[in-house]
Amino acid sequence: MSIDIPTICLTNIGPLITLSVAGLLLLLFDAFSGKAMKKAHFHQFSLVAVVIALLQTVWLWNRQTTDFSRMIYVDNFSFFFNVIFLLGTGISIILSVHYLENYRKNYGEYYALMLFAAVGMILMAAGGNLVIIFLGVEILSIPIYILSGLFREDLKSNEAALKYLLLGAFSSAFLLFGIAMLYGGTGTFYLADLAAFIKKSGMNGFTYVGMGLLIVGFGFKVSMAPFHMWTPDVYEGAPTSITAFMSVGTKAAAFAAFLRVFLEVFPTVRMEWDLLLWVAAVATMTVGNVTALAQTNIKRMLAYSSIAHAGYILVGLIAGNQLGATGILYYLLAYTIMNLGAFGVVIAVARKKDNYLNIYDYAGLGFQYPGLAAVMSVFLFSLVGMPPTAGFLGKFYLFSAAVEAGYIWLVIIAVINSLISVYYYLRITVIMYMQPAEADLGPVAMTPVVNATLIISALAVLLIGIFPGSIFQLAMNSVKIFGS
Amino acid sequence: MQIIFFLLAATALISGIMVVIQVNPVRSALFLVLNFFALAAIYLLANAQFIAAIQIIVYAGAIMVLFLFVIMLLNLRQPEEGGAHRHLGQKIFGSSLATAVIALVIYKVFRMIVPPGKPLTPDFGSTEMVAKSLFTDYLLPFEMTSILLLVAVVGAVILARSKVE
Amino acid sequence: MIQYVWLVPVFPLIGFLINGLLGKKISKNTVSLVGPGSVGLSFAWVLGCFWEYLHLPAKAKPVEVFVFNWITSGTFNAQAAFLVDPLSLVMLLVVSGVGFLIHIYSVGYMHDDPGYARYFSYLNLFVVNMLILVMANNFLLMFVGWEGVGLCSYLLIGYWYEKQSASDAGKKAFVVNRIGDFGFLLGIFLIFYTFGTVNFREVFAQAHNFPVGSAILTIITLCLFVGATGKSAQIPLYTWLPDAMEGPTPVSALIHAATMVTAGVYMVARCSALYVMAPISMTVVAVIGLATAFMAASIGLAQNDIKRVLAYSTVSQLGYMFLACGVGAFVAAIFHLMTHAFFKALLFLGSGSVIHGMHGEQDMRKMGALKNKMPITYAVMLVGTLAIAGIFPFAGFFSKDEILFKALTDGHVGYWAIASLGAMMTAFYMFRLIFMTFYGEKRWDHHVHPHESPPVMTIPLIILAILSTVGGFVGIPLIQGWNVFHEFLAPSIAHVAAGHEVHHSMTFEVMMMLVSMGVAGIGIFIAYKMYIKQPELPAQVTAKVPGLYDLIYNKYYVDEIYDATVVEPIKNGSVFLWQEADSKVIDGAVNGTASVVDRLSLVIRKLETGYVQNYALGILIGVAVITGYYLGR
Repeated sequence: MSIDIPTICLTNIGPLITLSVAGLLLLLFDAFSGKAMKKAHFHQFSLVAVVIALLQTVWLWNRQTTDFSRMIYVDNFSFFFNVIFLLGTGISIILSVHYLENYRKNYGEYYALMLFAAVGMILMAAGGNLVIIFLGVEILSIPIYILSGLFREDLKSNEAALKYLLLGAFSSAFLLFGIAMLYGGTGTFYLADLAAFIKKSGMNGFTYVGMGLLIVGFGFKVSMAPFHMWTPDVYEGAPTSITAFMSVGTKAAAFAAFLRVFLEVFPTVRMEWDLLLWVAAVATMTVGNVTALAQTNIKRMLAYSSIAHAGYILVGLIAGNQLGATGILYYLLAYTIMNLGAFGVVIAVARKKDNYLNIYDYAGLGFQYPGLAAVMSVFLFSLVGMPPTAGFLGKFYLFSAAVEAGYIWLVIIAVINSLISVYYYLRITVIMYMQPAEADLGPVAMTPVVNATLIISALAVLLIGIFPGSIFQLAMNSVKIFGS
Repeated sequence: MQIIFFLLAATALISGIMVVIQVNPVRSALFLVLNFFALAAIYLLANAQFIAAIQIIVYAGAIMVLFLFVIMLLNLRQPEEGGAHRHLGQKIFGSSLATAVIALVIYKVFRMIVPPGKPLTPDFGSTEMVAKSLFTDYLLPFEMTSILLLVAVVGAVILARSKVE
Repeated sequence: MIQYVWLVPVFPLIGFLINGLLGKKISKNTVSLVGPGSVGLSFAWVLGCFWEYLHLPAKAKPVEVFVFNWITSGTFNAQAAFLVDPLSLVMLLVVSGVGFLIHIYSVGYMHDDPGYARYFSYLNLFVVNMLILVMANNFLLMFVGWEGVGLCSYLLIGYWYEKQSASDAGKKAFVVNRIGDFGFLLGIFLIFYTFGTVNFREVFAQAHNFPVGSAILTIITLCLFVGATGKSAQIPLYTWLPDAMEGPTPVSALIHAATMVTAGVYMVARCSALYVMAPISMTVVAVIGLATAFMAASIGLAQNDIKRVLAYSTVSQLGYMFLACGVGAFVAAIFHLMTHAFFKALLFLGSGSVIHGMHGEQDMRKMGALKNKMPITYAVMLVGTLAIAGIFPFAGFFSKDEILFKALTDGHVGYWAIASLGAMMTAFYMFRLIFMTFYGEKRWDHHVHPHESPPVMTIPLIILAILSTVGGFVGIPLIQGWNVFHEFLAPSIAHVAAGHEVHHSMTFEVMMMLVSMGVAGIGIFIAYKMYIKQPELPAQVTAKVPGLYDLIYNKYYVDEIYDATVVEPIKNGSVFLWQEADSKVIDGAVNGTASVVDRLSLVIRKLETGYVQNYALGILIGVAVITGYYLGR
């Protein structure tokens, strides 16, 4: 029997290798190194790995190809998402360090799992085959199930992990069933072949069910209604640093896969899914925003807010045009920075052991910690979509894409929704600046690195809002792969 | 052939349902073993000998034995009476909804005209073929699966290890 | 200088950064130098630009100053670029000039406030955004300024956040404004959808290709007008402005009288090319403006808080400006905008001086006989009042008369009648304010010692008083060649395509002027009669028509109606969704009264949500819907 060995080029999966190897090394260090040295160096080590992976990603710029028998795409789309993922992972690692030390949970495994999760994200964005995308979903999800339950002595953390695990497995089953149905209907797992098949022979019963179940699977991961219900409980219960990580990482990765699959495989049958997603997007935004109004726990509020943002991003997907896809990429980058920034402030304010998560605990922050309050305001304004922040432009791109595609009502509803969202985001600003602290806030532990991260994030939110040109060009380059 | 397939499929389905509705965990586990055997037989029918063998060796053999040991070691108590009636409305609603969905899918699938499949090569499903495709086209998924398993193991260790520090 | 017109907003931006970031470290004197100084520089620069613009050859006008490409994509382009044309120059002069005076005034007014630097940083930020708003060359950049001024207004209204009412008012202003912004943003999206661009000049150039009264232009202009009603406090979104008086008085003068609230009028005038193509929208604008002018004036009759009277007066005057826009007299609207900026800023600052001298007292029933205690304040307030009442030759006379005249000739006789009635009420309540504050017996508490304000406050007042006196001469309507203002603005404004150009005789114009003077005179006379001659009369009048008085005094109960019909349902909806959708056991102590929690937990116990199987059921329902959607057809 002859075996044709496919040619492979390892640099094409350089970031994957770096992150995986770093994760493995971290596990080994944690197991075999001395106690004194290890604590301090885990996060530095993992940060170095992330930076190297980032450099490798940059190396892959503009290499429009596939590798590993077309299993993965090496294109600008995955380049852009890799940057988002690595940025998100890096910032999350920085935000985690102090938080974990407070809980005496500064394990090497923690960082290793984060790196593995990043591997999963990259696979989801780069996958050229449904098998890879599914593997990516699982490699991303399992570390996050575990990390959500990291605080074993905390009931809420346990609850979060269990709920996420059960529901995640439930939704993964649907995703897998959908993939199986697609295979049954077309005989292939490759996105390119699926697209060719559907373009040629149209949809059949299998592909309909398959497509529908893919919507379920991805919808769960991006917290699209009605698959969003796990989000608040899990976000609230999970360690805040993990909430931050998953709120941006999981969402971005799931949207990457969502976007790639739907704009590559199903663009010719847009009429079959746009109405469904239209309804889902409206429900998602509305449920997220309206429910967020009643929240007093800031993590819970941000959870609903992340649901609402999923709704906005869906608007771009429904628009389905170049501008929409570009808008999604831009928005996800902006969202990554601003949401992580907001969570960074939440971590800082929560101080020891998550004691201060109620929104009224932010009273007086504007006076005792003007810098912290100022950056928080920038992040919140960006989440609101106030000009000239990045959040505004992101929304503008998404909505004008939908207008261009003729979805006027969707845009009207979306704009109303972002109007509602003003209220709950702004309430935090009001509390920070317009209510005196009931008691002394006490020391908020800030390391120089965290400070710098937050300040740079805030500046970045403003900067890419005022000068969006280059990022936009980059994003547009990245979505060129989707035909029209 | 067809009759055998339907018999096996029925066995798999019924045993699968029994796994869920049995109150006694040991019985549940044993039904799961039965389910695995039925599935392995279906794989054989589909000419996938390697998968069938793996199914029996790994799942029915190794994993289920481990399961049974754990269940017995934990010495799970029988849940108290009345537990089955909690959320009864939801259970009925959920299961009827699921049945309806499945029925709809089956109905549609049966009415579909499926194009005839390609004839199988004589060595289809053999160990060589599986190995070949695993180490050529499916190399990346294969390697990534190892990461997935590693992650699961690490996770289990983290969650299960006795309180340190 | 015009090429560097982008420096105009940069000066206050630098001021904002210095005061905002270093406010606590630098001395008060530095703050007082940086805050007003930066705006003064802007004003000087604007003057230079104005001078240069006047001497530009006609074909070089208007000037667009490109700064950088803000948003570029294949189909969409928005620049950060500034448009310098007559309209924006007038606005720039008003914003930077009046802004500069008010900054100086603030030095005196806010001198003892602990948040001095914070105040000036907000004020500078406001000026930055306002300048961007009026200079933008496209809708999107205008929206940036539009949102920015809204934010600053909100920050400044809630400046004294220790007062619950102040932070509530700030929140209200922001929320109501967002409703307006919603309309504006939709309008922008529709403009982009229709024209493929958001650049003013490109959009307006294309607008002529549409038939008059086309549906899309009507919808666009109505959306934009929703934005204008929010920002410019028109029916139905005017309720925030009177509450906004919780902010410091100079803020009320700058933001809620002279500049920000006129942004809506500016926007409508800027889009005149669109509005003239949409007669229905024009009618809507005119009717809303008229209704607001009348309603707010009637509310003003019965208010006792000196700033609230002025606030309703502002709402009412803005209504006149929209009336002018609605009948196609955009120039008259901008003219009134300008004179109004002078005299209303003057009146607010004057009232601020009174409040300052009365140690924070705002209730006019506790004033009286201040004429001799504060002579300068009295004099300038009187000038402002004469101007707003429309007495010759003060500024308000010319502008208001032009609006009334246009309402009659280009609009409808009914417009004119109601507007004139409003003008009479204006004269009445303004003189009521003067008489109650400065005449009669002294009614203040014995521990209050009224005193005149320091020069740093009175000098801006005097300058504004001079402007309120002579500011109207640029737009004398009578003789065609003399209306400099009209000629200057003409290139920026589109005209209604009138089939019949009616020429009115000069006698007719003069007669109308006399009529409007007479109307104002009646209002003043009634006020004189009621508050000087027979002080017992007001009580008798009130007693005669108690229902009507209550209605006006309580501002037609509009706030209450909004609360009951809009605010409460949204709140309830949110709580309801929360219960239904995720409802873990709610921490009662945080979330409300005990009874609510009792009811809630009852519901929750029944639903037993928060359970994982419910969520799974939700997913399953979603799956069923999706498969049903695809296969059930």
